[in-house]
Amino acid sequence: MDADAKPLPRITQDNRPFWEACRRHELRLPHCTACERAFWPPSPLCPHCFEPAVEWRRVSGRGTVSSFVVVHQKWFPAFAADIPYNAVQVELEEGPRLTSSLVGIANDEIAVGLAVEVVFDDLSEEITLPRFRPRP
Amino acid sequence: MVPMVSRLRGSDEVYLCGRVMPVSFKDTAAIAGIGLSRLGRHLPESQLELAASAFRQALDDAGLSRDDVDGLSVNFGWPLGLDYDRIAESFGLDIRYVNQTWTHGRFVTMSLQNAAMAVSAGLADVVACVTAASFTRAREILGGPGDMEGYREEGGTHGENPPYGLTAPAGGAALAMRRYMALYGATAEQLATVAITLRSHALLNPNAIQKTPLTLADYLASRLVVAPLRLFDCCLVSDGAAVVLVTSAERARDLKQPPVYISGMQGLRSGRDEFIFAPPGLGINQQGPGRVTPKPRDQDVYAMAGIDRGEIAALYTYDAFTPLVLFVLERFGFAQPGEAAAWIQDGRIALGGELPVNTSGGLHSEAHVSGWNSIVEIVRQLRGQAGPRQIGGAEFLQWATVWGDSVVFRR
Repeated sequence: MDADAKPLPRITQDNRPFWEACRRHELRLPHCTACERAFWPPSPLCPHCFEPAVEWRRVSGRGTVSSFVVVHQKWFPAFAADIPYNAVQVELEEGPRLTSSLVGIANDEIAVGLAVEVVFDDLSEEITLPRFRPRP
Repeated sequence: MVPMVSRLRGSDEVYLCGRVMPVSFKDTAAIAGIGLSRLGRHLPESQLELAASAFRQALDDAGLSRDDVDGLSVNFGWPLGLDYDRIAESFGLDIRYVNQTWTHGRFVTMSLQNAAMAVSAGLADVVACVTAASFTRAREILGGPGDMEGYREEGGTHGENPPYGLTAPAGGAALAMRRYMALYGATAEQLATVAITLRSHALLNPNAIQKTPLTLADYLASRLVVAPLRLFDCCLVSDGAAVVLVTSAERARDLKQPPVYISGMQGLRSGRDEFIFAPPGLGINQQGPGRVTPKPRDQDVYAMAGIDRGEIAALYTYDAFTPLVLFVLERFGFAQPGEAAAWIQDGRIALGGELPVNTSGGLHSEAHVSGWNSIVEIVRQLRGQAGPRQIGGAEFLQWATVWGDSVVFRR
């Protein structure tokens, strides 16, 4: 790992559709076509009903902050300039929770339950990170 | 010879290698020897030197020789600790049973349980559980760019997510504590009681690294690491080694020290309701929401030991971060969901209280030997060798983690 760069997502065969959708500025999650539920992390089977019937569907991108932290310690040199920065978990309207970060809000205004929506941060040609911002 | 069989449920015997073996491992294995190197920060000794010191002490403690050890169980190898093969070559051991788990605190219990099962199944006579850590030389690995463990997790059950700068285990514990505070109204002042209590225990332990009392004011003034966690919510980053020798109960009875029996065990839990740093139901990662009280299968350790939870004289846990103490109390039913922060007040988890926790000071204030320093303390307590920290008349002590595994020990 390059110590001077921010780490990039580790793209695997299983999560590739997620990251390819992010590049197109779409949030997509695996859904079971048998029980119609969305789930995370990716799996070739539905973790709820065990059917191997998975389809990547676009989701609303809306959710609420289910928890958050504010990082004050420098672990990665590449994040030093961002300190203190937030990291959050967002519970999407479709159910699954994603880890991400919030933009467009001061750290001391973040609260559990805050309504948020997805925005896309293009890090490079290949990688786009989903982040979230407060919903009006 | 077939050890005593405890009949717990249904058919509990199997036919193995021409002998009838008990399926239950209740009291079939015991800890016969313990050794702890010196503990400190930035120690000059290598991991091998620290391990050698602890190993020799453990053999001497048990009255065993090097040649008696034919098994190794290691929960903490490269890149943070010593691997089993290096230990065996360096110490000139002749090993016929090995267990090594990936470098992670979550496998402490499994490593001990594997040792107990190996000696009970006749796969080894004496298994040495060896842990050597020099965390003060491993800062790059602990949440930094060298932390492949954090990178592996990628938002997994430990909570790391490096692209968002959530690179260290403290982040997962902080996510859990923030939600716990939001759901149940727990406060920093309540959480401080964990840190202050563990420190008070360390002050009674001459081996402990922390030597000065911790006040609420000190705690609240300490710097934020990953809010809501402060410096004193995080355990020590330290160096040291521990060795625990496990043998059959039968053999342990003939050795130098009184045996400390492994009476009950239950394993590491995994599934969508599990997040390493949170009790089920808290709502981190994909955990279902809602308070969860322990189900019977989450209390197997007591059933196997044949006791009620109320017979546990003290609880020992992997206190890498102070919230883990709250969560393990709820996970095992000592406190109701959402109530542990209030439950621990007024000396309840201090020596002399209803349920002392980590009486040597734990990872928080004694040293971070991946929890094995607390296993050593359990043995001292049950032998009556804990000096000013001795819990009078303790018969059953419990090791348990927030990730759900546990061992009940009996004197």
